[in-house]
Amino acid sequence: MLDAFLISGLFGVVMVIGLGLLLHLELGLARIANFGVVGFFGLGMYVFGVLYVRVDWPFGDPWVFLVCALIATAAAGLAGLIVGWLIADLNTDGVLVGTLAFATAVAIVATTEAELTGGAEGMGGLAFPYDIGKVTDNELLWLVIATLVVGLIFAFVRQVHRSPYGRLLVAVGGNEPLARSLGKATFRTKFWLFGVASAGMGLLGVMDAVMLRFLVPANIGVDVTLAAMVGLVLGGTARAWGAVLGAFLSVGLFDIVLQGYLPAPTEDWSAQTLPVLREAMFGATLVVVLLFRPLGVLGDMRRDQLMRRLHGR
Amino acid sequence: MDYVVQSVVIGLTENAPLVLAAIGFALLYRLSGLINVAYSETITLGAYFGMWVNTTFGLDFYTVLIPAGLLAGLFSVATYLGIFRPAKRRNVGTLELIIVSFGLSIFLRYGLQLVFGYPVRYFDVPPPETIYVLGVGVGSFRLLAVAVVAVLSLLLYWFIQKSSLGLQIRALASDEDLAQVSGIRPLAVTVLIWFIAGVAGGLAGAFFGVGASVDPLLGWREFLFILLVVLVGLSWGLRGVILVGIGAGVALAAMTLQFSQGLYAQLALIVVFALILKWRGLRLTETGKV
Repeated sequence: MLDAFLISGLFGVVMVIGLGLLLHLELGLARIANFGVVGFFGLGMYVFGVLYVRVDWPFGDPWVFLVCALIATAAAGLAGLIVGWLIADLNTDGVLVGTLAFATAVAIVATTEAELTGGAEGMGGLAFPYDIGKVTDNELLWLVIATLVVGLIFAFVRQVHRSPYGRLLVAVGGNEPLARSLGKATFRTKFWLFGVASAGMGLLGVMDAVMLRFLVPANIGVDVTLAAMVGLVLGGTARAWGAVLGAFLSVGLFDIVLQGYLPAPTEDWSAQTLPVLREAMFGATLVVVLLFRPLGVLGDMRRDQLMRRLHGR
Repeated sequence: MDYVVQSVVIGLTENAPLVLAAIGFALLYRLSGLINVAYSETITLGAYFGMWVNTTFGLDFYTVLIPAGLLAGLFSVATYLGIFRPAKRRNVGTLELIIVSFGLSIFLRYGLQLVFGYPVRYFDVPPPETIYVLGVGVGSFRLLAVAVVAVLSLLLYWFIQKSSLGLQIRALASDEDLAQVSGIRPLAVTVLIWFIAGVAGGLAGAFFGVGASVDPLLGWREFLFILLVVLVGLSWGLRGVILVGIGAGVALAAMTLQFSQGLYAQLALIVVFALILKWRGLRLTETGKV
């Protein structure tokens, strides 16, 4: 069986894959740079946490989890619609400000509303919605469930790629005025895309909250957005598999291979040096990949590769 | 009346560095159209450079400002020559360039911890004297910040709007090809702008750092407000940035005095600015690359 370290490491990778896949819809297809991924993730996490811990539900656990998760996902989706409305007709600079402002606002509220969220000291009291024995067994089962959820997200993204909706997203991302002149409702497309993708991010926040079992605002820092973005950009923004591959190459490499299987050269290595090195390398990866191989490891969209083969370019 | 005076004095003195940083950022944004997220690390490094010179060579805070500003300016030029110029030559798109600058920002933010160490650092300066302005006690460093910001803003404003080099800068910003055939050397002018922006950011960082502590997130904490101030203010030019920056600073102070937590003031300001941006535009251009 997997040990506790490997379970939490893999769980982290699965979370980043999920966020990367949803970001892929926004950044890879529709070319909207969402710098507030962690805002939606954190909103889901905290809405779930507050409902689960603070509300006295009249029924027992799998149901409490399901109801809270549903409300949290819906809340993140609603926030996505609001942010989507805000940024859908703004340019890239406006999108950066809008999404960054939203993520900052969520972090501020998580800190100030201490009576609900526990503030900077944090909030405990979360638990797995089942109990099958040892903690490791519970965590392993949760990893399996999270993998299934992310698997569903992956299937959804693949479906989008093959559907007219996916082509609409690509058209909006490629040349928005042209798409609009052909009668496509570009504002509405972006608006709903943000709603759906943000709901997914919120659901992932719920999954992560259960695994963490203790919520502090430090969980919803910019590093979450960074991890999702690095995974996606490294693997390939234009490809559904990009987020999967990139997450293993970035987060998997640092949090599993280097953290667990490399002998620590100095005393504060795994506690201090490695986490700092990890973020610095992630940042450098974004710069290097976008300068030298902008489409990541996997390269162009299959559709574009096919077109090039057919027509020769 | 007391409340108004307090808000204005606290707002001006506490947020003067914000205005300075916003001017630097606006210059870059105006010239290159680039949202440089790594500008937040220029601010952070200004604080670190200042702290380093101060604690290593024992110079007082006023002297330290000169090397801190110059080093941050040189650093800013280095990011341009090392990253943004090559990126532009490779025709990296606007969206990708923002992500590149975000990556650079993260790299610097964590990389500088490997150089300067992990713990929070402090300037080694005697506690500032308290000077009373209209009955409100203000630290002497903060008053100095206001004076420096006022002088530098006027100088920069004069430089950009009135001097011949400023004219070249504005010409370059509006039409690079035309500027080039008119005999303007784009590289020299661009490097100059990055240097000035870096100096402004670095000085802002030193003032932020001496007022509290020097930590890797110093610049990043201010970045969103700088961005909001610049995007809202720049439609009235550099003057607009200065005025909106001052207005935001006073509003922050006024709301902080009113609310129980300072974070509420920030939250309110973020919402107001976001709505202004939505209302006023940053609209997508209707003409595409058809």
